[in-house]
Amino acid sequence: MNLLHDIHMEDVTRAPLQLAVAPTPFSLELRSVTKRYGSVTALEDVSLEVRAGSVHCVLGENGAGKSTLCGIVFGTQRPDAGEVKVDGKRLDARRPADALARGIAMVHQHFSLVGTLTVAENLALGGLRGRRGVREAKQRLRELGDRYDLHVNPDAVVEELSVGERQRVEILKALSSDPRLLVLDEPTAVLPPAEVAALLQLCRRIADDGRAVVLVTHKLAEARAVAERATVLRGGRSIATVDLAAVDDDELVRLMVGRDVGATGGAVAAALGLTAGSGARLLESALPTFGASAINVSRLSLEVQGGAPILDEISLDVRAGEVVGLAGVEGNGQSELARILAGAQHPTRGEQRLAGKDVAALPPRERARLGLAVIPEDRHLEACIDQLSIAENLVLGDLPHYTRFGLLRRGAIAARAKELMSTWDVRAPGPLVAMKTLSGGNQQRVVLARELSRTPLVAVLAAQPTRGLDVGAVVSVLTRLRAAAAAGAGVLIISSELPELLATCHRIAVIHRGRIVGQVLPREPGALERIGTLMSVGAVAS
Amino acid sequence: MIAGSSIISKAVDGLKPLKIPLLATLAAFGIGLVLIVAAGAPLKDALGALQDGMYGTPYALGASLNAAALLALVGGGFVVAARCGLTNVGGEGQINVGALAATAIGLHGAAHLPTPLPVVVPLIAAIIAGAVWGAIAGALKAWRGTNEVISTLLMNFVAIGLVSVAVHEQSLLRQPATSAQTLPNSPPLPEVTHLALLPLGSGSPGTIGIVIAALVLVAVAVLVRRSAFGLKLSSVALGKQAAARAGISPGSMEIAALALAGGAAGLAGGILMLSTPFILRDGFSSGYGFQGLVVGLLARGSAAGVVLAALLFGFLDTGGISLEVGVGVPSTVILIVEAVIVITIAGSAGLKFGRSKVRRATS
Repeated sequence: MNLLHDIHMEDVTRAPLQLAVAPTPFSLELRSVTKRYGSVTALEDVSLEVRAGSVHCVLGENGAGKSTLCGIVFGTQRPDAGEVKVDGKRLDARRPADALARGIAMVHQHFSLVGTLTVAENLALGGLRGRRGVREAKQRLRELGDRYDLHVNPDAVVEELSVGERQRVEILKALSSDPRLLVLDEPTAVLPPAEVAALLQLCRRIADDGRAVVLVTHKLAEARAVAERATVLRGGRSIATVDLAAVDDDELVRLMVGRDVGATGGAVAAALGLTAGSGARLLESALPTFGASAINVSRLSLEVQGGAPILDEISLDVRAGEVVGLAGVEGNGQSELARILAGAQHPTRGEQRLAGKDVAALPPRERARLGLAVIPEDRHLEACIDQLSIAENLVLGDLPHYTRFGLLRRGAIAARAKELMSTWDVRAPGPLVAMKTLSGGNQQRVVLARELSRTPLVAVLAAQPTRGLDVGAVVSVLTRLRAAAAAGAGVLIISSELPELLATCHRIAVIHRGRIVGQVLPREPGALERIGTLMSVGAVAS
Repeated sequence: MIAGSSIISKAVDGLKPLKIPLLATLAAFGIGLVLIVAAGAPLKDALGALQDGMYGTPYALGASLNAAALLALVGGGFVVAARCGLTNVGGEGQINVGALAATAIGLHGAAHLPTPLPVVVPLIAAIIAGAVWGAIAGALKAWRGTNEVISTLLMNFVAIGLVSVAVHEQSLLRQPATSAQTLPNSPPLPEVTHLALLPLGSGSPGTIGIVIAALVLVAVAVLVRRSAFGLKLSSVALGKQAAARAGISPGSMEIAALALAGGAAGLAGGILMLSTPFILRDGFSSGYGFQGLVVGLLARGSAAGVVLAALLFGFLDTGGISLEVGVGVPSTVILIVEAVIVITIAGSAGLKFGRSKVRRATS
C-alpha cells in the first residue's frame, strides 16, 4: 500500500474547473442520465464530464449505480432519460459494438476472456480472420507492450495466467481497438497491493497518451493515487464532482457515505480502503486473554494430481474470544481452506478440530450442530438460495423444528424470521419476500442472523464476509463478528481486504500459495506493509 | 390497463399466470378448426361429433375422465420431480413396469386374497415398480451425474421391451396358445382385481381410478406447497450447494423425487391394467406416458394446472376418436392441436426466460 502513495500527482496537469466554454468537446459527457428497473431507480439525473488525457474517477459505494453507469456507456443498458455524448456527438449505443465503433473500450469487473485460448487468440476473437488475425494480434500485442510497458506472452494460455496477468490481457484487449475512452469497472478488486499500484500507473500512462480513462472504484486511496477529478455517486445520484486535490478524505467519505462517520470511523475508513489510524480500531486497546482453542487445524494439505498443492501443511489455531484474520491474494488456497473447514470439501490429509473435537469426518450440518457458524465466500451459491424467501432461508438448516406431521409450521417460521430480522436489522418488506430482492448487505445480514444465532456458538468461519457490501453493511458485518468473539466464540476471517482485517483482528496470518507464510499483529508498526509483502511474495526480507 | 377499473385489472392480474396457456389453447383450437374445414367436414357436424365424443354420453364422459386420471398421475409425478429440478421423461416406461408388475401380481396370487386386497396389492406393486424404475434414474443422477432426461428416456425403451418379452413368452405372462392365431397378450385379469366403476351413468367406463388420481393430486399439491419435503426439493433445485450446507442431501432428494414421479406413473400403469380390457399387450398404454409429460410441462409446477391440462387432453383424446368415426376427420387433427398448444407454451416460456437472462447478465 506504501506503493500507492508513491504515485503522486506532480506530473499531472490539472484541467481547470470548467465554467468557461470548453475549447474542445469532452471525451465523454453524461447529461441528466436516468435509468430505472421497474420501481427501482438505479441512476437518477447523473451528469459527468471527462476530458481526453485525464483519469476521471467514479467513486461510490456498492449499489451506488456505478455498474449501471458503465453499462449505459458501453451500450449494454439503455438510459430511460438523458443523453450520453462522446467527443461532443450523441452516443446512442444499443449494443457494445456501437460503443466500440465510437472508440469506447471497457475492462469489466469480471474478465471476458476465453480461458482455453491463448492471449493472441483472445485478441483475435471477434475479428473472424483465422490465423492471419492471430498473427496481427501478436504484432499488436508487441506494439502495445512496448508503448505501455505491458508485456504478456502472446502464446500463453489464458487460464494458466495469474489474475493480474489476465487483467493485463483484458486491458491489452481493450487497448487493441485503439479506443479514445477506456472505462475500467472496479479493476483493482482482484489484485494484490503491488499490482494495484502498477495498474494505477498504467492508467496514468494511458491517459498521458491522450486518451480519456474512467476508473470506477469504491476505494478512495486509489482515486487519490491516480485521478485528477472524481464524480461521487450515491444512491444513483451524482452527488458531486470534485477536484481531488481540493478535498480531504473526511469530506470525500462524507460525500460517498452520506453522513458523518465519526463513531464508526475506523471501520468505514477500512471499508473504503484507507488505513485506519491506530486509535480508530474496533479493537480494545489491551490484548485480552483468550480461552481454549475453538478452531484448530494442523498440517492440513490439499493436493491435486499433477499440480502444486493447493494447501500445504496449514496449521492454525483460533482461540475462544479471538479474532484471527487470514489475509491473502485470491486464489492462494483460502477458498479451499474455507470449504474444508465448513465440511464441504475433504482435504488430502490433516487434522481439524472444533473446540477440541475431531471434526475431520463430519459434514457441514454436524459441524453446525457442534457450534460452527459459517459465512461462506459465495453468498449466492453456498450461503443462501436466492429464489426462496428470507424466512425459508433462515430455517432451511433447522427444518425439523418448524415441521409438524411433515407440514411446515408457517406461523412459527414467519415469527422466527421476524424476530431474527428485527434483531439483525434486516431491511425488507417482510419475511416472505425472496432473498434475491434484497441488497447484498441485507442478504449478508440474513446469513449472519442464521449463522451467528446458533446455540451453542463455538466458532465462526467468515470467508470474504464483506465482499460486495456497501460501507454501512461492511461496518455492521465487522461489528457483528467482533461481537461474536466478545461473546466467547473463536472467529476466523478470511479476506483480501487488508484495512478491514487490520481494523478487526487480533492477529493476522498470511497465506501464499497454500502456505501460511507469516503472522502479523495489527498493532506492530508497519503491519500493513509487512502483510502486503507477504501476500505478494510470500516472505519478508529481514 | 384502463384507469378506474381497478377491480377488473386486479382480476386480470390474478389470471396472468394462465394468460399464455389460455392464449395458446385458443390459438391451437383456431388452427384445429381450420384443419377440420380443410378436411372437408361441415364445421357444425364436426364440432357436434367432437362434443359428443368428449362428454356427450356417459360412455364418453367416463372414458375422458379415465384418460384424464392417467394423464394427471403422470403429470403430477412430473411436477414433483420438476420441483427438484429434474425432468422426468420416463413416464411411459414407468407406466409399463407398473402395468407389468400389476399384471404379474394380479394373475399370480392377488386374486385369492380377501377384498379389497386383489385390487390394492396389484396397485401397490405397480407403484413400487414405477418408483424403482424412477429411482434408478435418480441414483444415476445423484451418484454418477447422468442426465436424467437421457436416462429416463432410454429406460422407457427398456421397460417397453420388458413388457413385450413378457407377453410373448408363455413362461412369463403370455396367455396359453391354443391355436396359431393366439395373440401375444396376457390373459385377462380375473374379475376380483377389476377396479370398481363410478356411478357416472349406464355404460360409463369411469373407474375409481379417477378418485385415486384426484387424491394423489391433492397430495401433490400439499407436498409441493406446504410440506418440509417440498421445501427441501425446491432448495436442491434452486441452490444445491446451499442446500447441502444446510444438511439436505441433494442426492437423496433427487432419488426420492424421481422415485415419487415413477411411483405416480407406475400407479397410472396399474390403474390402466385394472381397467378394461384388463389385458397386457404391446402398446397397451397408447402413449399416456409421453402425453402425461406434456401435461406436467403445461402445468408449470402447479397441481391445479396438472388437473386442468389433464382434463383438457383427456377430453380432447376421446373427442378425437369420435371426430374420426363420426365425420371422417382424422383424429390426428387433435394431436396437431395438442402439439400446437405445447409448442406455443414452451416457446413463450423460453422467450420469457431468455429475456430475464439478458437482463440479469447486463445489470
